[in-house]
Amino acid sequence: MVRPSALHREAVLLLGAAALATIALLPAPVLAHADTSHGGGFVAGFLHPITGLDHVVAMVAVGLWGAVLAPPALWVLPVAFPLVMAFGGLLGMLGVPIPGVEIGIAVSGLVMGLMVLFELRPPLWLAALIVASFAVFHGHAHGAELPAGSNALLFSLAFVIATGLLHLAGILLGETRRWPGGRSFVRGAGGGIALAGLFFLERALA
Amino acid sequence: MLAPPAFAHTPATGLGPLADGAARLVLEPADLLLSIALVLLALQQHPPAVRRVIVLLPALWCLGAVLGQALPRELLLAPLITATFVVVALLVALQIRLPPWLFTGLAAATSLGFGVVNGSLLSGHAGSLSVVLGEAVALAVFAVVLAMGLEGLRFRWRAIALRVAGSWIAASGLLMLGWQLRHPQ
Repeated sequence: MVRPSALHREAVLLLGAAALATIALLPAPVLAHADTSHGGGFVAGFLHPITGLDHVVAMVAVGLWGAVLAPPALWVLPVAFPLVMAFGGLLGMLGVPIPGVEIGIAVSGLVMGLMVLFELRPPLWLAALIVASFAVFHGHAHGAELPAGSNALLFSLAFVIATGLLHLAGILLGETRRWPGGRSFVRGAGGGIALAGLFFLERALA
Repeated sequence: MLAPPAFAHTPATGLGPLADGAARLVLEPADLLLSIALVLLALQQHPPAVRRVIVLLPALWCLGAVLGQALPRELLLAPLITATFVVVALLVALQIRLPPWLFTGLAAATSLGFGVVNGSLLSGHAGSLSVVLGEAVALAVFAVVLAMGLEGLRFRWRAIALRVAGSWIAASGLLMLGWQLRHPQ
């Protein structure tokens, strides 16, 4: 097996970061016939979490960080996130205010991206606490946006499944660490997520 | 040429009330989520728990639905129903082992309770007994297939999959609960 040189690793790292940052900063497509109300139903619920890029990068970062931390964090974080996110959603739907939601969402991408970039491995309880704290912001934002509609349970179920699949995407990306150059790629992805988080933070503070 | 009667709480498949009942399980999935959560919880408990759930869930749900039809009016307890399956799913996500008597009591009480509420919603509709039977059969088949499918998984992966699924069901329920509290019936 050919071991990648230090230069090669750095190149992969930079390329990964640049690719993710570019994707994250691309303008979202405008869909003339999309259901912008997200009023109900499985499809609307499934699309809801994946249409906000600030949410997407953070949820992928949860999976990536879980892969960096290895089991049991690999599955503890994706179990904790939807539960606490739903609790945040409950608060949002009930109109309980949480200050700085958009800032919290942006910081979540930044912090978790940095965790992946620098391969930081805090104790499991602390990692779960960090992820859960950010999940409240994501859930609150989604909950506050959800209008009344039919098939509310199908909407909620699809919403959570989409979130879980984003975590899974992060875990699968994170598992590329086993391959040559994979570790650099994952760190690069973390850097890209951190950059995207920084961009969203600048926008939230503007 | 007369239009078939419309059931407010039953999807019309056009295949008769038995099929409508089976479709109800999927299209109004509170019962489905409870059954998934109960089967997952059973798999985390002692071995006879799965067999008990497979028998108790459809039988007591059906009994409750028949009893519920005799009630004078609809039981509009959606938040309570949702909170119930959230609690069961949380037990799965946290992988909590219950004493056998408590697990059996929980499975029996929730199955019966869900049945009573569903029965009350269907009361007064012609053919509602067939709808109940259709949903009870669908519940039984679903519980057996799910339990059999998960029994075959390797234990370590199964333990993780059960907890993840439990967290997803609980999270869906929490969102649903917020929705129901925000938009009361």
